[in-house]
Amino acid sequence: GALLGCHRSYRSRPTHGIGKFKYLLPKEVPKKKKEKVQMKEIDAGTEYQYGDVNIQMTSHDLCLVEHFAQYVHRLCNSLSIRVNESYAMPTRTNEVLFMEEKGSKMQLDAVLTTHQRVIQVCGLSSTFAPILLEIIQSSQPEGVHLLMKQHTEADFKSRLKSRPELEELLAEMS
Amino acid sequence: LMLCYFSSCSSWLPQRVPLRGSHWQSSLLELRTSLPVRAQPKKKKKVDVKKEQAQKDRMKKKLKKLEKAAPELIPIEDFIPPLKYSDSSRVRSLPALSPEESERRVLLLKKWSVFKQKQDEAEKNAIKCLVESQQEALKELRLESEELYEAAIRRDEGLFPFQRDGPSYTPPLPGYDPPEGKCIDITKVYTQ
Repeated sequence: GALLGCHRSYRSRPTHGIGKFKYLLPKEVPKKKKEKVQMKEIDAGTEYQYGDVNIQMTSHDLCLVEHFAQYVHRLCNSLSIRVNESYAMPTRTNEVLFMEEKGSKMQLDAVLTTHQRVIQVCGLSSTFAPILLEIIQSSQPEGVHLLMKQHTEADFKSRLKSRPELEELLAEMS
Repeated sequence: LMLCYFSSCSSWLPQRVPLRGSHWQSSLLELRTSLPVRAQPKKKKKVDVKKEQAQKDRMKKKLKKLEKAAPELIPIEDFIPPLKYSDSSRVRSLPALSPEESERRVLLLKKWSVFKQKQDEAEKNAIKCLVESQQEALKELRLESEELYEAAIRRDEGLFPFQRDGPSYTPPLPGYDPPEGKCIDITKVYTQ
């Protein structure tokens, strides 16, 4: 009696899958949850390796520094050096004023923008690091300032927005 | 010391109120700044403590809420196109190229790619030579003394930080007197 009442479609029956329609609809891209900006653990390296190293390139010329950063990134890729991150630091704008020769007033000369790109590499061996430095220096273009240093938390914090309210509260609490 | 001595003889009085039992103590107000009225001081203290506690709790809640919000990265102005280019109605029409011109361009492109390939090969060669000579030197050093080899293999702490300005087109002019001036930083400060 109970068996006659069930309408389950078995896989062998031609009615299997009747009522399915989701396969006909276009594929929905899963909604990407916003990734929280968190500092990754800084690798200090061992005695024979350098850990996280930042290659910072600064210049007033945007295209030049961008292309140089791309060149350095491709170079690291070809030499199988692990590139952790390749990002841009916020642009700094400076107003340059100069004193007129016959007069005491400061005159606006130009508004300069300073752009900086950073490439973070990891796992540089102690013997290969000077070679990489030499190669990057030999292809350093005019007007681009190169700086190579180990990555610190302060470097990461300089990329984040300042939170004066939080700092105020923390100062009040302690 | 006086208080402890007197509290034993009259324990129903609150500890804080000094007794005028002795002749050396000239006034009641010596040890206390405010007038010691019996019931008042206790109430004041309770209310203060409660208020302070409530304030502290509010501050802690605010702090928790602010800390919950994840820190944001400063937006990079380089990657945000200026508004004046957002008007997409203007379309540029390029002139048609003559066959000689397109031929010349294709040949130029080929010459450029050959030049770049030679440059890239030279660089790879340079790297290979550097690495090879370094390895050979280290091998010889190892044969010389194990201690020195170990010291050479270790990482150089003085290497980083390393700074270098890019080369300039011309050398600096001798005896150049630059005008006086200053630089003002007008970078926009972003707060969260």
